[in-house]
Amino acid sequence: MQELIQQVLSGIATGGIFGSLALALVLIYNAMGLVNFAQGEMAMFATFVAFTLIVHGVNYWIAFPVTLVLAFAGGIAIQRIVIRPVERAPVLTLVIVTLGLATLFNGLAGFLFGYVPRAFPSPFSVQTVNILGAFASYQDLGVIAVSGVVLIAIYLLLEHTTVGLTMRSAAHHPEASRLLGVRVSWMLALGWGLASAVGAVSGIMVAPILLLEPDMMQTIIIYAFAAAVLGGIESPLGAVVGGLIVGVTVNLAGAYIPFVGGDLQLAVALAIIVAVLVLKPNGLFGRPTARRV
Amino acid sequence: MGSALLELQDVSAGYGPTSVLHAVSLSVEEGEIVSLLGANGAGKTTTLRAITRGVQWTGDIQFAGRSLRRMSTEEVVRCGIAHVPEGRGILTELTVEENLRLGSHLRRNGPEVRKDYDRVFEYFPVLRERRKLSASTLSGGEQQMLALARALLMKPRLMLLDEPSLGLAPIIVRSIFDIIRTINQTDRVAVLLVEQNANLALEMSSHAYVLEVGRVAVKGQSSELKGNESVRKSYLGY
Amino acid sequence: MVQRIRSAPPRYWLVAVAVLFFAGFPTVATSFQASQWAQVLILAIAIMGLNILVGYSGQISLGHGAFMALGAYVSAVLTHKYKVDVLATIPIAGLVTGLIGFLFGIPALRLSALYLALATFALAVVTPSLIKRPVELTGGVQGILITQPDPPQLAKDAFATVTGTPMTSDQWIYYVTFAFAVVLFWLAWNLVRHRPGRAMRAIRDGEVAAAASGVNVAGYKTLAFGISALYAGVAGALFALATGFVSPDTFPVALSIQLLVGAVIGGLASIPGPLLGAIFAYFLPIESNQWVPAQTWIPSQIAATVVKAGPAVSYGAVLILIMIFAPNGIVGLANAGYTRLRRRLRGAADRESGHVPPDPQTV
Repeated sequence: MQELIQQVLSGIATGGIFGSLALALVLIYNAMGLVNFAQGEMAMFATFVAFTLIVHGVNYWIAFPVTLVLAFAGGIAIQRIVIRPVERAPVLTLVIVTLGLATLFNGLAGFLFGYVPRAFPSPFSVQTVNILGAFASYQDLGVIAVSGVVLIAIYLLLEHTTVGLTMRSAAHHPEASRLLGVRVSWMLALGWGLASAVGAVSGIMVAPILLLEPDMMQTIIIYAFAAAVLGGIESPLGAVVGGLIVGVTVNLAGAYIPFVGGDLQLAVALAIIVAVLVLKPNGLFGRPTARRV
Repeated sequence: MGSALLELQDVSAGYGPTSVLHAVSLSVEEGEIVSLLGANGAGKTTTLRAITRGVQWTGDIQFAGRSLRRMSTEEVVRCGIAHVPEGRGILTELTVEENLRLGSHLRRNGPEVRKDYDRVFEYFPVLRERRKLSASTLSGGEQQMLALARALLMKPRLMLLDEPSLGLAPIIVRSIFDIIRTINQTDRVAVLLVEQNANLALEMSSHAYVLEVGRVAVKGQSSELKGNESVRKSYLGY
Repeated sequence: MVQRIRSAPPRYWLVAVAVLFFAGFPTVATSFQASQWAQVLILAIAIMGLNILVGYSGQISLGHGAFMALGAYVSAVLTHKYKVDVLATIPIAGLVTGLIGFLFGIPALRLSALYLALATFALAVVTPSLIKRPVELTGGVQGILITQPDPPQLAKDAFATVTGTPMTSDQWIYYVTFAFAVVLFWLAWNLVRHRPGRAMRAIRDGEVAAAASGVNVAGYKTLAFGISALYAGVAGALFALATGFVSPDTFPVALSIQLLVGAVIGGLASIPGPLLGAIFAYFLPIESNQWVPAQTWIPSQIAATVVKAGPAVSYGAVLILIMIFAPNGIVGLANAGYTRLRRRLRGAADRESGHVPPDPQTV
């Protein structure tokens, strides 16, 4: 029983990581009806930036927000420079552009930071604390706390500020929003910036667990896809809930189903994606219709 | 010409290779209500869309002395023009309150905005009742009220209204038009009114233009046009 | 007959020239170059398959590397475990993969373009793990070695007569690949010219309208999946033959991306597109390392940086630039250029004859 609770808590922690990246995917999907295949690589790149800061003596808790700000700016820059020229292009073109971005970031990271896996410092000790008779590590609790804070902040921003309102309006009703004076194009850029920052959180949280190297996020992005699809690709709440479910499920499957070892956990994610798409394509929180004007 | 608030000079506009408007000239004075009439397909909606940059145009459009040529839709709107399009442009993914907030989101003066909210809820009490509900739950008439309320909250100098009476019961149409008239008189908001219901439009407006196949066929004082039987029969269908 | 040859459109001449060029290529090139271009032809076959799916029937797949892996492993296992003649395994691999692809196409019917891209992408990422598992069959991480066949005596003699040197294994494999490529390209060309091609294009351009016109949408979409998987399977089997080795790591997700990229850059919904795309996909990473430093007009610091940054950066950057400036690929650019040229030539002819084209601004 104790071990079960531990696994579940661990699963919630990984779920926070998946959910953050899934939230980034959902933000961009809402902005432009497209899944950003480069989200994981962008998050990885931001994590390398954080690493560089930390290695040069910057305190973790300063490097973290600084990286988020840089990721935010980077996301806006990418939208303005790379995405805007192809805004109205067909889906396939946009998919290729994001794939190109993914390749670019991966290669750039390798070029600037090298391919040797690095250990990424974590501010949370690996000691455990006793909760409900089970041992939960500070590491897991820390990840849950940080992810939670970030996700709540995004929620508050989107639902309770004017900026969030204009972003949502621009995403769902671009033409009507223009007639209300909303600078739709800049709102999309903002969406990218926000997504980039949230993705960076995911990368920084996962780096201490895996090792930091250019291919680090390539499996995480699949879990994030599973989470986003499960939650409903348009729903930020769904991304978070989906992340938690995927995190716990994958963890439990890896621990208790002998067939599923470390590497086949990914196949579990694939199975989730396929199952959702076949059984309930709109996910848990998605709407059946919802096409924008 | 003069110092009209809105001035269109020789505006031609179209979609792709087909031209819908041909050398249309019209003007709206500060605080005036002007009707734009004509049959379906005459180009009335296109005229409004040209002003807010929803369609490419040649010629010149000036608002408060500034040319709108190089502006995007958002920039034109931010100059002080509120456009309630055909279909009303209701943001159905958002609540009624959020729709209204998007009307006032550009304004800085808190107390004035609050006063305007009070007025809006006075004109349209149903909006206060349904504030927290999704805008998609509103009926056609209520959506028109929401669109109008939202436009009012933008505190524009000019309102472009595209067929506000479309699909609404006569009694609701009456009350909406009364409110439009009130807004025009209290806030000195100019209105360019596109309407199928020519009678109603002519009653409200001081000037009118009648479009036929993309050109200005008739223009003049509304009272004159109303009284002119041949104009009414050939162009206005009654 | 002579009349028909003279009036054949220029395109047919280009094809004849290309076929002859590729047929004669190994006689004048090194064995290594032949093996390189065999890889190009293999990619071209796979990309042609993907093109049928994406370009003609409008369904996106980011997972065709998985089909290549399947074909490669079918061939490898048959050869290695069951001692089937390696050349015979190639069509078998194709058929097996084609069948699997067809079955795959059935649930794919329910997915929108984006979800299909997502699902196939996930499939591509998971494929290496899935291969590793059944160690008995696939050899796990170790992979399977394939002995590359010697050229048959007849081929050796023919080659020696022409070039004076004996044919190497690589060159023989090149010719095997070339033969399959010719057949498969010819099949594809026929497919798109006739009803299946028309049906698929109708589906791509508007499913609802196509269905209303009586097109069997579900049938053709799954057929497209099956055919494209077949091509990928054959390509995979040829790949196993040409490389002499298969392992889970030879089919990473990058391969699937490379295929899609090649299809788009070459030019979707065209027959020459896949070949051009394959050339691009194969040589760009290599050439950016060699070609760039050789260009004297590029300052040496920039060149050094580009080389160090590696193929991935240039690949990604080039991809983005092409999507922004030439989204219809090389064939699209060629078509656009050709049209512009024809218009200019016709304009000149019109001016001479006094012919005035009608004003486009009809009201």
